[in-house]
Amino acid sequence: MIRLENVSKTYPNGVKALDDVSFSIEKGEFVFIVGGSGSGKTSIIKSLMREIKVSSGQIYVEGVDITKLSNRKVPKLRRNLGVVFQDFRLLQNMSVYQNIAFALRVTETPTRIIRKTVPTLLSMVGLTHKAKMKPYQLSGGEQQRTALARALANNPPILIADEPTGNLDPKISWEIMRLLQDINMRGTTVVVVTHDREIVDAMKKRVITLKHGRVIKDIQRGDYGYEN
Amino acid sequence: MRIKTLWYCLIEGIKNLFKNRLMSLASILTIVASLFIVSIFYSITVNLNHTLDEFEHNIGIAIFFEENVTENEILTLKTQLEAREEVYEVTYVSEKQAWEDFKGDYFAGREDLLEGFDEDNPLVGSASLQVLFDDISKQDHLIRLLESESIVRHVKEAREVAAIVENFNDLVAYISLALIVILSIISLFIISNTIRLGIALRKREINVMRYIGAKSMMIRGPFIVEGALIGVIGAAIPLIAISNFYDRVIQSIMTQFYLLNDFLVFIPVEQLMVQLTPIMLISGAALGIIGSRFTIGRYLKV
Repeated sequence: MIRLENVSKTYPNGVKALDDVSFSIEKGEFVFIVGGSGSGKTSIIKSLMREIKVSSGQIYVEGVDITKLSNRKVPKLRRNLGVVFQDFRLLQNMSVYQNIAFALRVTETPTRIIRKTVPTLLSMVGLTHKAKMKPYQLSGGEQQRTALARALANNPPILIADEPTGNLDPKISWEIMRLLQDINMRGTTVVVVTHDREIVDAMKKRVITLKHGRVIKDIQRGDYGYEN
Repeated sequence: MRIKTLWYCLIEGIKNLFKNRLMSLASILTIVASLFIVSIFYSITVNLNHTLDEFEHNIGIAIFFEENVTENEILTLKTQLEAREEVYEVTYVSEKQAWEDFKGDYFAGREDLLEGFDEDNPLVGSASLQVLFDDISKQDHLIRLLESESIVRHVKEAREVAAIVENFNDLVAYISLALIVILSIISLFIISNTIRLGIALRKREINVMRYIGAKSMMIRGPFIVEGALIGVIGAAIPLIAISNFYDRVIQSIMTQFYLLNDFLVFIPVEQLMVQLTPIMLISGAALGIIGSRFTIGRYLKV
């Protein structure tokens, strides 16, 4: 599903963000990627999204080597990867419903299907009753759930969550993690980048630990191994 | 691409125009000013060319013949000349006609002074062909050809007048061209800046679209539409202005500079608009699209 082979990335300013990183994630897995700032977590996500090009090595997503992907095919890659971010990135001038529908609209989904899909997504994240509200009227947890519904709108096989609980208090964080687990149960591969020790330790999932751009640990049913 | 996507780009493009009101207005006004100047120059050029065309038809050459040449030979040459593309009109002026013209020009009202001449035409051998051209720039070639004819004694040409007319034509064309280039660059600059601001205003939305996997046409389309709209609106305003004021301006030129009336020949407003409308709309749209693509290429990466 996702495979990195000897991936290195050196930025133009000379910073080596990734240093010979290799790992693979199978279909249906739930994986944490942990590490401190500057460990290379963000560079991995950006490389997977083809926002940056790696300096060397190969990255396969759904069997396609995305390091050789032409710009024209990048949108197709990104439709395979749903993403949510720490800061939600919702559009403030649109309602919850419109934010989710937006993801379908810009991928040229017929209106008929949009009308059917959005209510399903809303009920999945438990926001049916807040469909008409604007993001600023919602709590942080509700905003992140909206973002999750939007990320899943095009039914991607892989969901990437970049510090999804970074802006949320512990109780709400657990709600989001439970939702991610539900999504994983339905067959979606989930990759969570985080430094929330408590959550990682409690979930007992696979943990890939990065330090200075290298994979230093990759353990099934692991815990937060990175020491500050 | 789906029809719906096309609609989407169109509607979002119009929204961009309003979201970005002040800059849109500024760039529309710049295009209006540029295209207004261009269209005024175009109108001047067209009218000048029209006038010069008329004028060109009035300058020509006169061919005079050797004494023993018969009228038939002259008329044969006339037919040959008429078949040529650059020739507009050939008139045969016989000895008799030449004498009549001469009398008319110099002795009008004093015909009594010329009594006795009629039986003995003093202009014997002055039969000529008057040739008028469609394109005076091609007269040199014809003159050389004629001078090599054995029956031709002399070709009287209007070379200098032709050169002046041609030079003037060129000058106007060069000025117009220089203006068009300068104004186009200014317009492109303003449009691309407007689009850049539009992109900045929609940065969040564009980012979301990118990671959701929207095709680049979906992201870029609205900005291309915005550029094209700025161009087309900018072209429409001077068109409306010119179609309304053209006749009035001509009227005032005719009354203010009545001495020029004999020289200037204006084309009617309908004829001008038929030429000007497509030129302006297409160049307006082209400026808008090129200007926006310019910015999009630099600021909207995959």
